[in-house]
Amino acid sequence: MSLFSTISVSASGMSAQRERAQVLVENIANADTTRTAEGGPYQRRDVVFESAPVASPFSSFLESQIDGQANGVQVSNVVVDSRDPDRRYMPGHPDADKDGYVSFPRVNPAEDMVDLLGASRAYQANVSAISAVKDMIQRSIDLFR
Amino acid sequence: MLDPVSRNLEQYMTLLSVRQKLVASNIANADTPGYKTQDIDFQTELQNAATGLPPAVQPVAGLTVKNDGNNVSLDREARLLAENALRFNIASNLLRSKLKMVRMAIEGGNTSS
Repeated sequence: MSLFSTISVSASGMSAQRERAQVLVENIANADTTRTAEGGPYQRRDVVFESAPVASPFSSFLESQIDGQANGVQVSNVVVDSRDPDRRYMPGHPDADKDGYVSFPRVNPAEDMVDLLGASRAYQANVSAISAVKDMIQRSIDLFR
Repeated sequence: MLDPVSRNLEQYMTLLSVRQKLVASNIANADTPGYKTQDIDFQTELQNAATGLPPAVQPVAGLTVKNDGNNVSLDREARLLAENALRFNIASNLLRSKLKMVRMAIEGGNTSS
């Protein structure tokens, strides 16, 4: 039955979107961070998705021709935004350079909030897919009653 | 199975679950760059169901392609998700009434159980 692997497909979508939300939240939280372990200001990060086959609970049985066609999704890469830092004149700041400028991360909170909304909506879409499929499985089970 | 109608219902439900899986895959890949919406030709595949061949998955034409090469329309997928679930619901109810008739015959018309 391919319905169970359908749940795995949607679950892969949920975990990918959650990872994306995590990275976006990190960006917003670090919007004003001027020091990092690597030195310099925080750099904005973003995820890259790629489609990938999912592992299903009964993989050996389900790797039939029917099930080989639908793909889930996974995070293939986390890219660092290499735009130049935002330099602000703050001579009293401990991280100011000799001219009195402090490098701040180039994070636009509006941009990340919009992305976060997108991630949240996509997560909800995957949840609805799971509940629809769950209902179909339940209907099939009810045939035995 | 029991009779041709039940067999058709079974094939119909199998095909619906294959389609539902593709819809779930499209939703999961709604933000994947370069991903193209996939679907099956339901009418043709239902006619071919008796041959036992796996359904042919094909990209869907006529959808708007976004800047990243992705053409998943969440509205279309949401509609198909609901439609498949409802169709499956109908088919399973029909199949259940078929099974009920068989059970009734086995029990000699005693429908108390």
